[in-house]
Amino acid sequence: MTPSLTDSLLVVGLSHHTAPVALRERLAFRREDLPHALSGILARGFHEAIILSTCNRVEIVSVARAGMADASGEVRAFLAEHHRVTEKEFGASLYQLKGCDAARHIFEVASSLDSQILGETEILGQSREAYRVAAEHGACGPMLRGIFERSFFLAKELRAEGGIGRVQASVSSAAVALANKVFEVKGRKVLLIGTGEMATGIVRALRSAGVGELWVASRTAERATEFAQREGGKPCRMQDLAQQLELADIVLVSAAAPHYIIGPAQLQAAVARRRGRAMCLIDISVPRNIDPAVSDVNEDIFLFDIDDLEDVARDGRREREAVAERWRPKLAEEARCVLRELQEYGTGETARKLIKHANATREDILEHAHADGLDPKTLAKLERALERLQGRILHGPLETLKEASREGDASDACAWVSRLFRLEATPLTPPVQGREDVNAKAQHNPKQEQPRQPSSSDPKSAIESIRTAAAERSSEIQRFKTGETPSLQSGV
Amino acid sequence: MTPDALSILSLACFAIGAVVAIAGFRFAAWRKASAQFAAVGLGVVFKTVAIGVGCANSDTHFFNSSSEIWGLLAWALAVSFLLALAVSGARSLGAIVLPLVVALMVLALVSSQTSQDLGIPAGHLFAIHIITAFLGYGLFLTACGASVLYLEQARLLKRKIFGAIFNDLPSLERLERLEIICAWLGLAAFSIAIATGAIQAGRLNKAFWSEPKYLSSLLTWLIFGILVIGRAARWLHGRAAAKFVLAGAGLVLVTFALSHPITHGTPAFRRPNADKTYVLCARAGGTPAVRGSCS
Repeated sequence: MTPSLTDSLLVVGLSHHTAPVALRERLAFRREDLPHALSGILARGFHEAIILSTCNRVEIVSVARAGMADASGEVRAFLAEHHRVTEKEFGASLYQLKGCDAARHIFEVASSLDSQILGETEILGQSREAYRVAAEHGACGPMLRGIFERSFFLAKELRAEGGIGRVQASVSSAAVALANKVFEVKGRKVLLIGTGEMATGIVRALRSAGVGELWVASRTAERATEFAQREGGKPCRMQDLAQQLELADIVLVSAAAPHYIIGPAQLQAAVARRRGRAMCLIDISVPRNIDPAVSDVNEDIFLFDIDDLEDVARDGRREREAVAERWRPKLAEEARCVLRELQEYGTGETARKLIKHANATREDILEHAHADGLDPKTLAKLERALERLQGRILHGPLETLKEASREGDASDACAWVSRLFRLEATPLTPPVQGREDVNAKAQHNPKQEQPRQPSSSDPKSAIESIRTAAAERSSEIQRFKTGETPSLQSGV
Repeated sequence: MTPDALSILSLACFAIGAVVAIAGFRFAAWRKASAQFAAVGLGVVFKTVAIGVGCANSDTHFFNSSSEIWGLLAWALAVSFLLALAVSGARSLGAIVLPLVVALMVLALVSSQTSQDLGIPAGHLFAIHIITAFLGYGLFLTACGASVLYLEQARLLKRKIFGAIFNDLPSLERLERLEIICAWLGLAAFSIAIATGAIQAGRLNKAFWSEPKYLSSLLTWLIFGILVIGRAARWLHGRAAAKFVLAGAGLVLVTFALSHPITHGTPAFRRPNADKTYVLCARAGGTPAVRGSCS
């Protein structure tokens, strides 16, 4: 039976919008637990499932079996059982979305429109990883494949065309953006003073922007050496600061000193020897460790503190929010579109199977007639008569399917036709134009190619039929919709 | 197509480029250097064809009416902008340069198209002199545009004003590099213009050394020469260099004003009698339509 897409696609989860971190971390899935968790959710009668577990959200995306009375209740029970918590503890923070809303939510999550920092890039990678793991363990079937691949495509499109990725999405990237406004950071020398938590993020962001050498100075030589080894830099002594200031283009200070480490006097000496090369100083320490007066030493010195970085990040947020507002209706429309395409494919597939079933029956009768010794002339007459009979019998159900497809929700019609003619359950396959090349590993994973079909009477043959029909699928559906299916024409 | 029609087409292209450049400050989706490049490139092509057709139709030489001179200046500025865009990708420069190009094109279309035969002998040398001089003007003015952006970006960085303009402007380093590249190219073009001008004037046995136009040209050349040498030796950079370019651009305007008849300047290449007629006519408020007579 073809399940109704509106009912079967389900997202159940919690995120930074609904739950504090204390609750989120209790329901989070560890990477190594995912295969077991996926098996657990499928064992509860779901066709497909993907678990997205990040620091900001825990979501289970699933395709419920037709006729499941309380699919979201099953997911809640699974979460409670898996994490050994009572449903009461997290029930109020849980949200559940179905059909179009669920698809739209998946699109928004992958595009980072639902993220704490709009436009951040990590969520797309996390979504891909969740999809890859599910595919690897056979939990991701054709329906979720269609929806997730579309979500990755849309996320990339939004980043490229919508411009949400053009503005910096964190303090680290704000630091890089500010340095980039002074000079091109590629190949520049960085001096890091202090090894605070935030410094790591900024150093990594600068590294990915292509900075050259990194020198690390700290109060204790051990800490400087350890940080330098971890981040691929060179340690230097605090006593050599004056010399390093002369050479460094970007000075990042993240120390916890109670006084200024760099003052105008030190910089004046360094600037005199720099011969007009600009210098970008970023002080993320609280209290500040660079004297604000250094900004007036020379016009080529640009000093920024943590407030400036947050200002830049906040300024970017306004622009990102505008982009997000423009894209939300588009994503909702895409969600409706992808579900409609999946639904239409289900109808076409049912029709294709019906015709195939009728053709096989006709061939069977003809073979028997041939074996009974009918002469060729009578056999030809019988064949024509059977074709006409097949056409007339199939005309009604095929027309019904066509009308149901046009009207939107054809799941009932598909189910009835399948039951009346005893066709095997029609697996839903995403439209041919799955436009995103996801992880190659996931794409070519044999397990992914064989989605689980617990309710199918013969899953292997169903999968085989999807594979063989893949090439002709689009044209066949199209021909069927326009009433030009070859079998039907020959039959009528 | 007539030169006028082609000029109108190029004006439309330049106007589109200017709108894209200015809208880029407000709307992220408009921040497309390729759109500016395409619009201005097309405009330059139309204007080049218009100039070519004008030259072919001219009996003596082109560039002897107000319309032609403003049009040529607009063309030179647009070509310089295209070069700058190709070299640096600094699309925000278009917000300064392209409105100026549009204004010059409008001026070219509405100003007098009556040719003034000033008795300047036509020839390849004169054509090279005019084209390189105008390209020099264009490149120096483009360097000036880059300097304005540099000073603005440096101000925003120092005062920590992180708005839409700040986001759209390129880095100080890139703007300074663009300023110097334009100055280098402009200097090369202007050197050729001065040399060819000297040869042309020398052929007419004119004492060009004492002419204000020539002195002003040399001074402009010297200013930009000092800039590129100072930048290479690293004793002139940053805001000081940007201000130096602005001073140089001021001299460019003075040189232009002294060089061209539309500003009642004193073209050095006129034959002595034509020169006299021109001055007399100019004083009388008329224009010398035919050599030696007033209209």
